[in-house]
Amino acid sequence: MEYKDIYTETDVLVIGGGLAGTVAAIGAAEKGVTVVVMDKGKIERSGDVGGGVDHFLAYLETGAEWDTKEAFLKYAAKAARGAVDLKVVEKMYCEELKNSIELMARVGNPLTQPDGSYSRMHSGGHPGPWWINFDGSRLKPRLAQKVRKLGCRVLDRVMATGLLTDNNGVVGAVGFNIRTGEFHAVKAKATIICTGNTNRLFESPRINPFDTWRCPFDTGDGQIMAYESGAALTNMEYVRVSIMPKGFSAAGFNALTGMGGRLMNSLGEYFMEKRHPQGSKAPRYDTINYILQELKAGRGPIYIDCRHLDEDVLEQLVTTLGYDKNTFPDYIEQRGENLKLKPIEIMLSEGTQNGPCDVAGGGILVDENCASTVKGLFACGDSSSANSNVHGAVTGGYRAGKSAALFTSQCSEIHINQDQVHDMRERTYSALNRKDGISYTDYENMIRKINSDSASMERTENGLETALGKLKRAKGYYDWVKVQDLHELMRANESYSLLRVSELMVMAAMYRKESRFGPYHNRIDYPEQNDKDWFGLVCVEKNGEDPKLSFRPISNEAVLGRSES
Amino acid sequence: MPPVFDHEKCSHCGKCENLCMADAIRLTEDGTPFVKYPKECWHCGACRMDCPNEAILIQFSPWMLTI
Repeated sequence: MEYKDIYTETDVLVIGGGLAGTVAAIGAAEKGVTVVVMDKGKIERSGDVGGGVDHFLAYLETGAEWDTKEAFLKYAAKAARGAVDLKVVEKMYCEELKNSIELMARVGNPLTQPDGSYSRMHSGGHPGPWWINFDGSRLKPRLAQKVRKLGCRVLDRVMATGLLTDNNGVVGAVGFNIRTGEFHAVKAKATIICTGNTNRLFESPRINPFDTWRCPFDTGDGQIMAYESGAALTNMEYVRVSIMPKGFSAAGFNALTGMGGRLMNSLGEYFMEKRHPQGSKAPRYDTINYILQELKAGRGPIYIDCRHLDEDVLEQLVTTLGYDKNTFPDYIEQRGENLKLKPIEIMLSEGTQNGPCDVAGGGILVDENCASTVKGLFACGDSSSANSNVHGAVTGGYRAGKSAALFTSQCSEIHINQDQVHDMRERTYSALNRKDGISYTDYENMIRKINSDSASMERTENGLETALGKLKRAKGYYDWVKVQDLHELMRANESYSLLRVSELMVMAAMYRKESRFGPYHNRIDYPEQNDKDWFGLVCVEKNGEDPKLSFRPISNEAVLGRSES
Repeated sequence: MPPVFDHEKCSHCGKCENLCMADAIRLTEDGTPFVKYPKECWHCGACRMDCPNEAILIQFSPWMLTI
């Protein structure tokens, strides 16, 4: 079937209309440039916080020693272990934090409680209660309303499938409408990628691969498009894991330990309290590591015991978790859980490619202005290397929008290469045009099996090499994937991104010959963290068929020295 | 499985189909919603939150409530 071609021209193109994307669009549009937003869903409810969110990481300068920029940068330096350039955190997060908190209020979703106060919670190894709890259940519809009100053109239900380039850099993107099939080519002076992190990479510890901690529709599409256009990616080796309720991968469960819940093994031992000075409030990767050890020793299942907490604290907890995962209270009720009466069974999430901690992302390498290593291409939120999560998406999104707008004012004339558009068009629909073949689900299960077998939380050179060989073979079979309709075509394009992210993840993991962040990059043949050689970023860049890998050392001294003086 | 529609209350406005981030909800020709891709539901709850008629219930699948 022949689908209609639609050409659009704009100053700034935002790919991905989730939290980072909508904020980036607002940031750019407020500067007076034209903006097009492309999203494979409807921006009112798309992305990782489409169903709501309840937490935002911030220091608020209230006078307390822990509540300052200096304290935050000191924490970030320690927490990031060389996985982010502190200068980027300072510019992208610290410099944009106040603006971002104001923006949230301006779109009608302030971070405060109805009485104007902040509800703040302590967890995750922070020096103070930096997590602001708030009701973000309608945050996305509010941001979307603002985006549309500012006159941005929104291409809803258009999945981007490739970036257009000229001799100087990126000049837009192509995609297709997942309902009508129409083909879109957007010519843009600046392009911002905000397509989220990468999920569905590993076999589900539950049953369904779409039952994921983070948004299962975020599949690394933006990272791979950026990589293909020549942009460097970084921190691809890290696989992040969290704790989840046993049967449902609902985010936000660290709130339970944040409020005082205690991790317990099946012998009734509170194992974290013996192993870590911060007990159940230890940094997440330490917690995951100790849970893994308990499971290996046969002391699973693992529980969170909240019986000692007050009834009203627990009630507030379930309500707040319902802002983060709207259906969580239903799950608790339908499963017959009662946090006051019995410990709740938990399990680890599947691995997600999302950077190693809350101040360092994994994905498109960006500088302090959210610019990638390719001209005209910017990135923010979880698809970028900068600080991730909600706070990273809002502060980074705002900065990316403003930076991209500024870039367009200095941009010379750009041209689209019609041959490139034609090639991308062919590739976009290829799985639809096949007469027979395998399903995208079978194809994707194969990728997950390979990754889970030898590229997950225990890695060796041989194991990773085996995985890489299998992934390369799997790549050859992508031409066998046959889809029935446009919805499946979207999923098949996602499967291909997953394959490519897997390859880069494995290659980066082979390159980093040390261990860092506990189970997030655990080389059992190089078990020690080696700061002398590996305090910094492993970068991957396109270089013909195989990527070029390189190492960028990180030094925090300049920023820390300045902020302490 | 998760969204279950109360067809007595549903006004066929199509909001759930329009907003589902999984692209999992579709409408029949007369506008009645149904879940076309039940395994792709992320249980985000947006359909229920935005339903103007409170016509959507969330029912977790037996395996999620059991394992």
